[in-house]
Amino acid sequence: MGLTIRQKADRIGTFRFISVYLMETLARWVPTTPELEAKVLFGRHVWDFAQHADQLGRRTGELRAAAQYSLRPAAGYFKVLEAVASAPGTLERVAGFYDGFLPDLERRYRGYLAETDQLNDEPSVRIIERILFDLPRLKGDRIAFAAQRADLKPLDAGWATRIAALAAAEREFVTDRSPARTSAAV
Amino acid sequence: MTDSTAAPSRLDPALFGEGPARDDRFTVVDVWAEMVNLPDGHRDKQREFFHRQMNEEACVMENAARSLAEFPDADWRVRKGLARQCADEARHVLSYRRLLEARGGHLGQYPVMNFQYRILGRIDSLVGRLAIQNRSFEADGLDAATYARDEARQAGDHELADMYDAQQADEVCHIRLGNDLVRDQMAKAPRTAMVIARALTQAARAFARIFAGGGTEVEKYGIAVDARLEAGFSPEEVEAAVRMSDARRAAVRERATGGGVHG
Repeated sequence: MGLTIRQKADRIGTFRFISVYLMETLARWVPTTPELEAKVLFGRHVWDFAQHADQLGRRTGELRAAAQYSLRPAAGYFKVLEAVASAPGTLERVAGFYDGFLPDLERRYRGYLAETDQLNDEPSVRIIERILFDLPRLKGDRIAFAAQRADLKPLDAGWATRIAALAAAEREFVTDRSPARTSAAV
Repeated sequence: MTDSTAAPSRLDPALFGEGPARDDRFTVVDVWAEMVNLPDGHRDKQREFFHRQMNEEACVMENAARSLAEFPDADWRVRKGLARQCADEARHVLSYRRLLEARGGHLGQYPVMNFQYRILGRIDSLVGRLAIQNRSFEADGLDAATYARDEARQAGDHELADMYDAQQADEVCHIRLGNDLVRDQMAKAPRTAMVIARALTQAARAFARIFAGGGTEVEKYGIAVDARLEAGFSPEEVEAAVRMSDARRAAVRERATGGGVHG
C-alpha cells in the first residue's frame, strides 16, 4: 500500500516545519554572526527556505490539511534541529548547517520521492524536485564562503561530522497523525 | 567568532538596543559626527559612501532577519516578505561591496554606525518596526536612490545607475510590505495607530541623537512621488511628505546661505 493522503500531508507538513525552522535559524544567525560574508550567506538563504516552506505549505492545503500546515518532527529529529541551531562559532554554524545537516535533509526528500506514487502525487514531486534543484546552489555558496574566508579557524573541527551522525541516527522524522475518523469500521 | 562591537556604547539604552555583531575589520562608532563625513567633490567621497551604505544595507538585512526570528506568530505572508527583504538586502550588501572594491576601496576602510539596527532593537512590535524601517527609513532610501540613479545616469556612470535602478525596485516592494501590514493592522485594530505613533516618536528622538551636529543637513533630493505611490503610500501621504520635505530642504538651504539661526 502506498502513502495515504493524510500520510503525504504529514510528510509534506513536516518538511515545511523543517524549512521554517531552518529559515528561522539562519535569520537568528544573521545579526549574531560577526563576519559579513557569513551574514550575507545566511541572509540570502533565508529566502530560499521561506520559498520551500511556502511551496510545501501550499501543497498541504491540497492534501486535505490546512494551507501552510506544519507538523513538528519526531522528538529525536527535533533535537537534531536544535543541535544545528546551537553551533558555537561561525564555522560551526556554516559547516554544521551545510555539510552536516543539509545532505541528510536531501536524502529524506529523495526518500519521499522514492516512496510516493509519482503520478498520483505529482504536485508534491514537482515541488520537491525544485527544492532539490536549489540545494546544490546553496552548497556552492557555502564553498565560495570557505574560499573567501579561508582565514577563519573552527572552534570545533568535528562539529559537522557529529551533526551528520546525529541526523543519520534518526531514521523516523515524521510523527503521523491518527487516521481520519469514520462512522463505521471497514 | 571575533566581534568588534564589545566596546561600550555611550548611547541611551532606553532608545538604543545592542548593536549587531561586526568582525574586527570594522570600526564601529555611535553617532554621525564620529563618521568620516567628507565634503562634496572630495576624491574619497564616493568610496566612503559605498562603504557606509554597504553597512546600512547590512543593518537592514539584520533588522529583517531579527524580526523574522522574533515574531514567529506573524502572518505567513508578512514573514515571507521579511525573508525576501533579508535576501534583497544581502544582495545590496554585495552590490555596494563590489562597487567599493572595484573603485579602490576595501572593507573596514572607514568607520560604520549601526543606528538602524539599534533603534529597532527598542521597538517591541512588528508593526512599529515596519513603520520605522520600511515606511520611513526605506522610503527615504527610495527618494535618495531615485535621485542618485538619475544623477549617475547623467554623469555617464551606468554601472552605478543600474545598481540604483535595481535597488529602487526592491525598495518599492519592501515599503509596500510595511504599508500593507500597517493598513491591515489598522483595519483590524484602530489602536494600532497609537502603537505606531509611539514607535515613530521614539525613533525620531533616537534619530535626532545620532545625527546631531549636521547629519540631516541634506537638501539634494526631494520625494520620489511616483515610486512612493507605487510602494503603496496614499496620494495624501505623498503630498504630506512632499510638503515636509520642501520645508526641510528650504530650511537647510537657508542655514547654508547664512539666513538661519545657525548662520
